[in-house]
Amino acid sequence: MASGLARGIPALMRTRRSTSLPQGYSRHRLSAASAGFIGAAVFVVRAARMARWRQTHAELRVVLAALLCLAACGRGEMGSAVAATVDDFGDSVAAGPAARIVSLNPVATELLVTAGYRDRIVGRTHWDRYPAGADGIPDLGDGMAPNVEVVLGAKPDLVILYASPANRRAADALHSAGARTLAIRTDRIADLRRLASALAAVTGDTAVRGVADSATASVAAVRNLTPLDPAPRVVWHMGDPPLFVAGRGSYMGELIGVAGGVNAFDDLAAPSPQVSIEEVVRRDPDLILAGPKGAARITQNAAWRTVRAVREGRVVVYDTAIVGHPGVRIGEAARHVRNLIAPLAARR
Amino acid sequence: MTVRVWVALFVALALVAAVALVTGPVPVALADVLAGLRGHAGNGAALVVHNIRLPRVALGLVVGAGLAMSGVALQATTRNPLAEPYLLGVSGGAAVGAVVATIAGASHPMAVELAAFAGAGIAVAAVVLVASASGAAAGSPALVMAGVVIGAFANAAILVLLAGAPSAMVRDALWWMMGSLSGADWRTVAWLAVVAIVAAGELLRAGREIDVLSLGDDAAAALGVEVERATRRVFLVAAILAAATVAAAGLVGFVGLVVPAIVRALGARSSREALLGAAVAGAALVVAADIVARVARAPAELPLGAVTALIGVPFFLARMRHAR
Repeated sequence: MASGLARGIPALMRTRRSTSLPQGYSRHRLSAASAGFIGAAVFVVRAARMARWRQTHAELRVVLAALLCLAACGRGEMGSAVAATVDDFGDSVAAGPAARIVSLNPVATELLVTAGYRDRIVGRTHWDRYPAGADGIPDLGDGMAPNVEVVLGAKPDLVILYASPANRRAADALHSAGARTLAIRTDRIADLRRLASALAAVTGDTAVRGVADSATASVAAVRNLTPLDPAPRVVWHMGDPPLFVAGRGSYMGELIGVAGGVNAFDDLAAPSPQVSIEEVVRRDPDLILAGPKGAARITQNAAWRTVRAVREGRVVVYDTAIVGHPGVRIGEAARHVRNLIAPLAARR
Repeated sequence: MTVRVWVALFVALALVAAVALVTGPVPVALADVLAGLRGHAGNGAALVVHNIRLPRVALGLVVGAGLAMSGVALQATTRNPLAEPYLLGVSGGAAVGAVVATIAGASHPMAVELAAFAGAGIAVAAVVLVASASGAAAGSPALVMAGVVIGAFANAAILVLLAGAPSAMVRDALWWMMGSLSGADWRTVAWLAVVAIVAAGELLRAGREIDVLSLGDDAAAALGVEVERATRRVFLVAAILAAATVAAAGLVGFVGLVVPAIVRALGARSSREALLGAAVAGAALVVAADIVARVARAPAELPLGAVTALIGVPFFLARMRHAR
């Protein structure tokens, strides 16, 4: 019997190996389960030989029961480990319903609340105030390097993180505590749909996809408006001093392009490069987009008067609440920026 | 210091100031520089010289001179060549003020400067109070110890404040703490110059006392100086001078530590000579560092505090080797 069992195990393993993996399946978890299975089987074979089968009949029964249990557990683990997606930390995220979600990514909070899943969210970041109703969700901190105990205290079955290195440790700690996490970077327009797809794949709730598709379609509608001719060259002021502007790698830089303008700092790949005011003078933009505080500073500061657009009154204030991050309002943000820069093009 | 050294210092200062005025992303001709200096700015390159480069050079001159003079006074008074303005709680207090103003979203153009100056002032007052509370030992060691303690407390407060702040505010606060002349304007230059001139005058006036204090407490007392009172007065003036520079330009490290050593190596004997020499050398160092900060990684700028150290350390080491 022992030799039969020993013969059967490799056959079983062959069957396992020959099974094709579904997309995103965690190979390392399968390998771990297989290794455990093999180890247990080897132990049984050795036990059978060492204990001389007939005399250790009762003992082997116990071992066999343990083996069966392990196999069952292994199957159970594999079943739950069927990954729906791989997140931006490279972690496999298992599929399964999510009834208690801690969303520590403002874009995810917007997406879920807009999609009608407000009641499933049991924690948000300090900054999640949109849409209406979001501010009633318990505030669990600023979302970066979160307090893991606080997050676990909300008893979540899914924790959504912003995929920043600052959150890597928290994700590991949450995994160790048995929590499921989904970490996605949400820096660009395309990230909204990416996040929605990941959420839909993980939770099985597809309404988020509809919300993201709708928002993205609104962006496309703005992009397809009549081109501005000539396209205004725009500097997106993010703060000073020191002066930070939107670079090519930023959502704001994308918004300028969608709205029909040209980002004057599009040659700088960083999302928010730090530059000098003199560099703005040299690039001589047609328009400067700034938040209310930034615009006040620009108009009060003598150094900014060296920029032609400032001297000629072409500093336009954007609504920081709309253009803050690439959430469900990306279409509204694109339209907003278009409305800010189009009059200038018409004047010229 | 010999006449030759003085001439060399002034020539170096004039040279770096001239280079700073003609260096930058916008090309300027000599005529633009002259027009900018005269205030006939127009709308072109001369305006860049007048509104951006000139206040920046002026701020660099005052910040460098102020930090270096503050360092000379503190090192002589405490008889500690490692004493620098930032050791005395000034930087920590100023940083707390600046961070509070940044997080509070203060919108007035001078809000951060004023808050930093107020923070530094509170820290200096706390240092003096803590040192006085220690009773008989209220001389320079007590002031240094109190400065270190208050500085540590301020650093902890900054960490607590920044821990819950949005990332953009953390970035702004960190940039402020790294020092920069990028926000230079004439208003800042003007108020800092007033503080620096008054403080410098006071330090020069106290030059003899500083000389005597540098001999040691017993020797100073034997020569008729009220050690505790004189130490506290020099400390206060030096701390206020440093606080003003920090409020105007953030933390520009290294200048107050190394420039005094450089001028001593250049042959400064009396405190007055060292104060004046350090003012010129400190001004030249900061303006030179700012040129590097502007061009080394253009169109971005490097933190001025890092560049002052990068420039100052090799020069300091070379000077020390030569002096030996």
